[in-house]
Amino acid sequence: MESAPIIWAVGGGKGGVGKSVVSTILAFWLARMGKRTVLIDVDLGGANLHTLLGIKSPPRTLNDFITRKFGSLEEICIDTEAKNLRLISGSSEVLSLANPHFSQKVKLINHFSRLDADYVVIDLGAGTSFNVLDFFLAAHEKIMVLTPEPTSIQNAYIFVRNAVYRRLSRLTSKNPSLQTLVKIAMDPKNELKVRTIKELLQFIQESGGKDLAEPIEKEIGEIRPAVITNMVRDDKEKNAGRIVQIVAEKYLMIQSTNLGSVFYDRQISSMVSDMVSLIKLDQSSHAFASIYEIVTKLLGN
Amino acid sequence: MNDRIDKQNSLVGRIIDGSVTIDSVTKFEDLLRVFPNDPGLHRVYADLLKKEKSLTAAAEAYGSAAKLFIASGMTLQAIVSKILEWQIFKPSQQEGQAFYTALHEGRHKDRAVQRFFAGMTYPEMIAFINKLMPRNFPAGVMVKKFGDEENTLYFVVSGALEQTDYHRLETGGRIQKKSTKDLVENDFLGEIYPFEEENVSQSDIKTITRVELAKISKSNLMNVCRKNPDLKLLVGNLYNRRSGFVEKEFNRTVRKTARHRLPTQVNLKIFQDEAGKVPLEVSGFTEDMSLGGARVVLGAKYETGYADSLTGKNVKIKIGLPTASNKLSVLGTIVWSKEVYLEGKTTAVVGIQFKEMTDTDRRLLEDYHYGSEGEQNLIWSLWGSLMEK
Repeated sequence: MESAPIIWAVGGGKGGVGKSVVSTILAFWLARMGKRTVLIDVDLGGANLHTLLGIKSPPRTLNDFITRKFGSLEEICIDTEAKNLRLISGSSEVLSLANPHFSQKVKLINHFSRLDADYVVIDLGAGTSFNVLDFFLAAHEKIMVLTPEPTSIQNAYIFVRNAVYRRLSRLTSKNPSLQTLVKIAMDPKNELKVRTIKELLQFIQESGGKDLAEPIEKEIGEIRPAVITNMVRDDKEKNAGRIVQIVAEKYLMIQSTNLGSVFYDRQISSMVSDMVSLIKLDQSSHAFASIYEIVTKLLGN
Repeated sequence: MNDRIDKQNSLVGRIIDGSVTIDSVTKFEDLLRVFPNDPGLHRVYADLLKKEKSLTAAAEAYGSAAKLFIASGMTLQAIVSKILEWQIFKPSQQEGQAFYTALHEGRHKDRAVQRFFAGMTYPEMIAFINKLMPRNFPAGVMVKKFGDEENTLYFVVSGALEQTDYHRLETGGRIQKKSTKDLVENDFLGEIYPFEEENVSQSDIKTITRVELAKISKSNLMNVCRKNPDLKLLVGNLYNRRSGFVEKEFNRTVRKTARHRLPTQVNLKIFQDEAGKVPLEVSGFTEDMSLGGARVVLGAKYETGYADSLTGKNVKIKIGLPTASNKLSVLGTIVWSKEVYLEGKTTAVVGIQFKEMTDTDRRLLEDYHYGSEGEQNLIWSLWGSLMEK
């Protein structure tokens, strides 16, 4: 029996930071390296990944699977111009999956794992809704994209913070008193004066929940997001990802990996606006080279 | 105030707090032409000129900053600007007197530190500020540690610090964290009074952002007080007032550090009392926002003279959050309003209490606000130290 594909999810909170472009080029390089890859647009309600691959109107979308028009994800995969790379397009028109129940998402993720591929790259939508966070948390490699702007850094941090609390909330779902405590701790001005995950775990321990605190700490420690700083123009800007890393380590007990940065490439902006497939991008492009390095790092992990 | 001004306005704030640096005198002059009345901007400009060794121009810019700080009721900041001006060119008795008079005629003397300076006679002020030394600290630096000897009084001129108080456990003498609070401009630190007591610090005090402090050593202050006995009473009052206002001050500082958050663009529809009258539509940006409400600076369409009449009006506020693709729509009431002179224009600042919003909008607003002051401040201080060009 063939093994299940490795899932990479690409999120980051803010719209316009280049998640879709990074996802597409990551998937492209995987495919180029001989890995059978499926790129999935999970921006439920704002899907546009197909346009980055030069597909104006995808014949089948994820919505066709949700509405049971097709029985398997394999049937809605679309071949692309690149060898080894297939696409599952999202749908910006029909919103039947705009707010799926948690169990529906689990089901969908299970289907992703049954795809006939080596790698599945999921492009998540903007924001920190439960949809986005649940797909992010379910992936083997949790990739966050941000740009060297204050709002993007702030949003990337909020994204990882909400992911941690979402995981905590799911972990404590069968223990109402603990879940209430997690909800209280999420409020940054809570009266318990719990300001960090470490303090929350201490509080749980001191309240007699030593047995509970340890597995929670272990689960949180496994989140380990990987950060990419996109659209950098100079060396200083490469530090944006480092900021999220430091704050997340201090307040959330999260050990993240800094995957490095991707240089700003004017060519990409014009290709996106002209709806030209990114596969046609000049391979001497700095952005292309940076993402190649990132893929190499991820495969080495 | 149009969008361009709004954006520049937030830029000015970031130049003043040090998160954005302008190192070209010409560019700074252009900016001062747009914002001629911002004392903080004049102060940063003066520092730049001093760094560039343009001492005459620097002294003049420090003088302008001092004048504008007085007009804004920022006594401590005015004094520090004047000290820096006088470090370049020693003042005449007449200049010193003129500054003292201007300071006393200035407004806003409701804070302990402002009252402290306002209560001084001219000789007391000169004797005191002769020993007062401005010092700058980068973000993330420990200014004072638990157990350090208390031998200096510091005034916070700008920036924010975090004070963590500890107490020793009776058993074993282990130190336990008691509380944490923020110190911002016009606060002071250093337990040096009563002078007879030899204190050691019960707190760690660390800078959150870039900080400017004005310090005077305990021994210098005692000498000044020996020669000016009434000044000792003012020092005593300074400490007494602080202890009486701890709770109030704490609440205020927490709100104040929230200003590190970026301004958010908003559109307001202000409903008129008379039925059928078209609502007034204005744009603006938030200076501070929470789940309960927002403080909004109104934009270009605000016409002067009716700020008072805005209080009590119902509003529909559309908020453009960077995290949301659609604007949030919230109903609220203006609970206070004030006309202010900002960057060369008269506009109004309104406090809006939120009344109704959809669950989705509430969630989006919660997402936007998650993160404690500490997290927000650490992001900004790292931005200052790692990204500043």
